[in-house]
Amino acid sequence: MSDTQANTAIDSLPELLAHALAMETEAAERYEELADQMETHRKAGVAAIFRRLEKEEKAHLVELNEMCSRYELPHYAPWDFKWATGESPEAIAIDQVSYKLSVRGAVELALVHERRACDFYAGIAQRASDDEVRILASQFAAEEREHIGWLESCLADCGPDDGAIDDPDPPLSQE
Amino acid sequence: MESCAQKKAYKAKDYKSDLKPIWCPGCGDYTVLNSITRALAELALPPEEVAVVSGIGCSSRIPAYTSVYGFHGVHGRALPVATGLKLARPDLTVLVTGGDGDGFSIGGNHFLHACRRNVDLTYIVMDNQVYGMTKGQASPTTSPDWEGSKLTPEGTGINPFQPLVVGLASGANFIARVSASDPINMAQIIVEAIRHPGFSLVQVLSPCVTFRPEQAEWRDIVRTAVVDYTDDAARAARRLMTDDGFNVGKVLFKGSRPPFRPEFEHTDGSVAELEARFAL
Ligand SMILES: Cc1ncc(C[n+]2csc(CCOP(=O)(O)OP(=O)(O)O)c2C)c(N)n1
Ligand code: SF4
Ligand SMILES: [Mg+2]
Repeated sequence: MSDTQANTAIDSLPELLAHALAMETEAAERYEELADQMETHRKAGVAAIFRRLEKEEKAHLVELNEMCSRYELPHYAPWDFKWATGESPEAIAIDQVSYKLSVRGAVELALVHERRACDFYAGIAQRASDDEVRILASQFAAEEREHIGWLESCLADCGPDDGAIDDPDPPLSQE
Repeated sequence: MESCAQKKAYKAKDYKSDLKPIWCPGCGDYTVLNSITRALAELALPPEEVAVVSGIGCSSRIPAYTSVYGFHGVHGRALPVATGLKLARPDLTVLVTGGDGDGFSIGGNHFLHACRRNVDLTYIVMDNQVYGMTKGQASPTTSPDWEGSKLTPEGTGINPFQPLVVGLASGANFIARVSASDPINMAQIIVEAIRHPGFSLVQVLSPCVTFRPEQAEWRDIVRTAVVDYTDDAARAARRLMTDDGFNVGKVLFKGSRPPFRPEFEHTDGSVAELEARFAL
């Protein structure tokens, strides 16, 4: 099992949907949060990457919510989800960003997390014994691959840097 | 996991206001806000039955970013305001949020007496060992050799304040330390803190990425505490004596002291009646 796959088997449709709903909601909200942070700090280029991903996740959520409304989903406390990671695999940890983040750095960070999401669904598809779960998890993994494809094309367009820009005006401690 | 019948009615987002936080990207306080809202959703507390009270500082901005009742008060005075609110409105769940400067310098005396009084409050202190909002001065929890501020170029040379030791000695009824690098664990501990009666103290190692950039390393330094909580204050004190400040993720102490909950005679709530009670 890779460190991004579920730490125990998910083998029923309601379980899969509950995890997908939590993961996609957190991803959409986190991208929104990061886009807002970057806009507040006048980082328009980086904000645009996160904003675009927020929109993608929200569009995906509309379909997912519609699908979920047809099932009784189990309730999970935040710490009961079967993520192998702390937060859900697609959500970028807040402490991974900084005001020095470059566009390239943002794309690379998002790529890591979209790949984690894809791995998560692919792992379920691989191990589930229920046919419906396998099919739906594969479909979700394919959707994540679309985001990966878009990010890979962004990365190809990015200039070389190490993911962070130099700060010409570093924070000054008050005297 | 609970059954469908127990499905919760609130989402974490329901507890956030429309105001966008202006913290520096990467600041630990974002994570604390997210953990608080996750905890409130898990407890399914109606927003109108919750209040968040704070003083002044970056960390003290939390009430503005929540949809529950909020009071962004005077520097160092969050605890007395929250105490008054809880006594007047015992039906509310009252959280207090703030920083190490707000809580342990200017508000230090209130901290001692809030622990001693043991009113049913949950105090979440975002400890970044610095005054973030005023651009990086040493706070009571700063280590003596930190040379990052021009006000203390050779460090303060003063032993840091130990919030959990002081909290325990002063009578706090619930004590825990968590890390902003583990938001899910933090949410779980906040749920426990709110559920536990009396004064609950939660110290959050919440990096100030701007004035203490080296705190980014906390993520790798912290370790999950190996022992579970005790209800024996002497044992908790002994554990704290050998603690280096980086044991996180578990409750350290859960006491059983009954919360301070004075019963007031029934009044009609009028100012005239209040004046009559306090007339000399
Ligand atoms: C009475 C008063 N004294 C001093 C200040 C200046 N002041 C504002 S925030 C702050 C310290 C905040 O530090 P902390 O509570 O650790 O919050 P952080 O910004 O680090 O989250 C100080 C001294 C003030 N606002 N009011
Ligand atoms: S100055 Fe420090 S504490 Fe304040 S918002 Fe920035 S990183 Fe957070
Ligand atoms: Mg501080």
